[in-house]
Amino acid sequence: MTVIGLPHTASRANAAGALPPRRRRSRIVVARLGAGLAVLVPIVLLSSFIAYSLGALSNSDPAATILGQDAATPAAVARLNASLGLNHPLIVQYWNWLTQAVQGNLGRSYFTQIPVAQSIAQRLPVDLSIAVLAVILAVIIGGGAGTIAAVRRGGWFDRTVTAVCSAASTLPAFVVGIILVVLFAVTVHWLPANGYVGPSTSIPQWLEHIILPSLALSLAVSADIARQLRTSLVEVLEQNYIVGARVRGLPYRRILFRHALRNASGPALTILGNDFPLMLAGAVAAEAVFSLPGLGQLLLESAQTRDIPVVQGLLLVVSCFVIVVNLIVNTTLNWLYRTDDGIGA
Amino acid sequence: MSGNPPRKVTGRSFLRLPSARVAIVVLLGIAVLTVFGSTLAPQNPLTINANALFQGPSAHHWLGTDYLGRDVLSRLMAGTRLSVLTALEAVGIGLILGVGPGIATVFLGRWFDFAANRLTDALMTLPYVFFAVAVTAALGNGLVQAMVPVGILLAPFFFRITRAATLEHSRAQYVEAAELMGASKLHVVRVHVLRKVLPTIAVTTASMTAAALLAVSFLTFLGIGVQPPAPTWGGVLSSDLDYLNQAPWAPFIPAALIAITIGALNALADAFRDRRGAGALAAQPDPIIATHSTLEPADDDRQSQVA
Repeated sequence: MTVIGLPHTASRANAAGALPPRRRRSRIVVARLGAGLAVLVPIVLLSSFIAYSLGALSNSDPAATILGQDAATPAAVARLNASLGLNHPLIVQYWNWLTQAVQGNLGRSYFTQIPVAQSIAQRLPVDLSIAVLAVILAVIIGGGAGTIAAVRRGGWFDRTVTAVCSAASTLPAFVVGIILVVLFAVTVHWLPANGYVGPSTSIPQWLEHIILPSLALSLAVSADIARQLRTSLVEVLEQNYIVGARVRGLPYRRILFRHALRNASGPALTILGNDFPLMLAGAVAAEAVFSLPGLGQLLLESAQTRDIPVVQGLLLVVSCFVIVVNLIVNTTLNWLYRTDDGIGA
Repeated sequence: MSGNPPRKVTGRSFLRLPSARVAIVVLLGIAVLTVFGSTLAPQNPLTINANALFQGPSAHHWLGTDYLGRDVLSRLMAGTRLSVLTALEAVGIGLILGVGPGIATVFLGRWFDFAANRLTDALMTLPYVFFAVAVTAALGNGLVQAMVPVGILLAPFFFRITRAATLEHSRAQYVEAAELMGASKLHVVRVHVLRKVLPTIAVTTASMTAAALLAVSFLTFLGIGVQPPAPTWGGVLSSDLDYLNQAPWAPFIPAALIAITIGALNALADAFRDRRGAGALAAQPDPIIATHSTLEPADDDRQSQVA
């Protein structure tokens, strides 16, 4: 069945030389992963530097804040600054912070003295639950709608999807969240309007509490995915190799899933990766609407008290998340478009 | 299209699209509200009326009243200016920081391009809410402080799109010809590149304004940068949320206003894009972090793959 040939097969085979297929493929994968990781180094350094330098921008005096008005004598402030390492140049401070951060130490909150990493680890499961469920929902809803719309293009389903997507992608997550609360929690009382229960306490209750926030979060992304997938799938379905496969009598379902979707899903996947920062922003929205104790609430609380170490740690963790998700997306894209040797044979 | 050559998007040909017309009417309305909103408001947006809490729409209060009996219509009208102006502030910052380097990077060589791209990548890994709130933590709570970082985070989008468009046009044969005839880089940029890139920037500006407006609404919804009695779109929405049991319909009004405005900006961008021809602007989405520089044709089958 490899004969049907995805369009890139021939060119790759020529380019990759005389190595045996399996080794050749793994070499390409490793090289790409290596290149991807190498590109990440300056990005991680830069984004973490941006996160850290916010503290230097700050016009608040951490030592005075910690000591309080009365105890903040110049000598005490100088001593505390020295022990916090704030008397070094910014770049040295940054390097110390980063090397500690790599070992999981993000410093302590100025106010509560609780380690920042601990507060973040405590809140992270909330956002992780919402975000992961939202991604799953977005892939199912957006992928499903986009695929059906492309297969039945021009039909009523296609037109409905197109219209709904234009509307849905203009609705911000917090607005969708509020609408969902009004519909499902206030009006019909099916689901709780707020609060969070950990999965270790009760899995059904956990799902009950995260389904609405995740749905709110996933709607705009689903719309983006559906639109992009529809566009590229319509294009792919008109390609010669699809027509060829149909002429050869392959089952349509197999053509759709094995060939068309695989070649058409790249841009939609890219959209998913690009929308991820927006989803994190949306998670903050969902937390606000559904009063969930997540990272966004931690951020807002520490912004109010100007608790810089917490804010720096949060920015670092969040941007690392975006980087990791994008690495996963890029790797998946490379895997999707890998050479076709031996697949399905 | 009488008399209009099809190559250019003129105002008239553009206005033939119904979606563009509707969008422009909506945006004109918003512009009027931005300038005259507080003057046109039928009532004082800050006047509290304890006898008229949570009222539904009526002749006296067209959009009802909120939890303090304040007129919702007046609050939304008066809140337009702050929301729109701060969104425009962010877009302006993004435009200035993004477009200049975006054009320059094509002409300044590989190292500048590499550095600018990595900085862009790094900025794109920061979600705007986190960054904006973090900056207010450092600089103090204010909407202006909150929107500067949003503008900085919009810059990468302007940068990438300008860079891509500039790259495309700077390789055109007429640019090569101009260079062979001894035209300076500045002349080439001004006469041949900038003019071609402007429509792309216009489309991006419309969609980025939508994004910025969303950011403002959301930040004010979170209570960033506004002192409580001052009305903003997000603020009205946020206070409605606390009283869902008394007035479950209330959040739909500010939500609709936000969604319609954002929708109009997006429709405008789409209409412009359609008018220009799908090939010119509807590019494949670029990943946030590209694993190679696109200054040289990528040695990757991904592009040829889906195209």
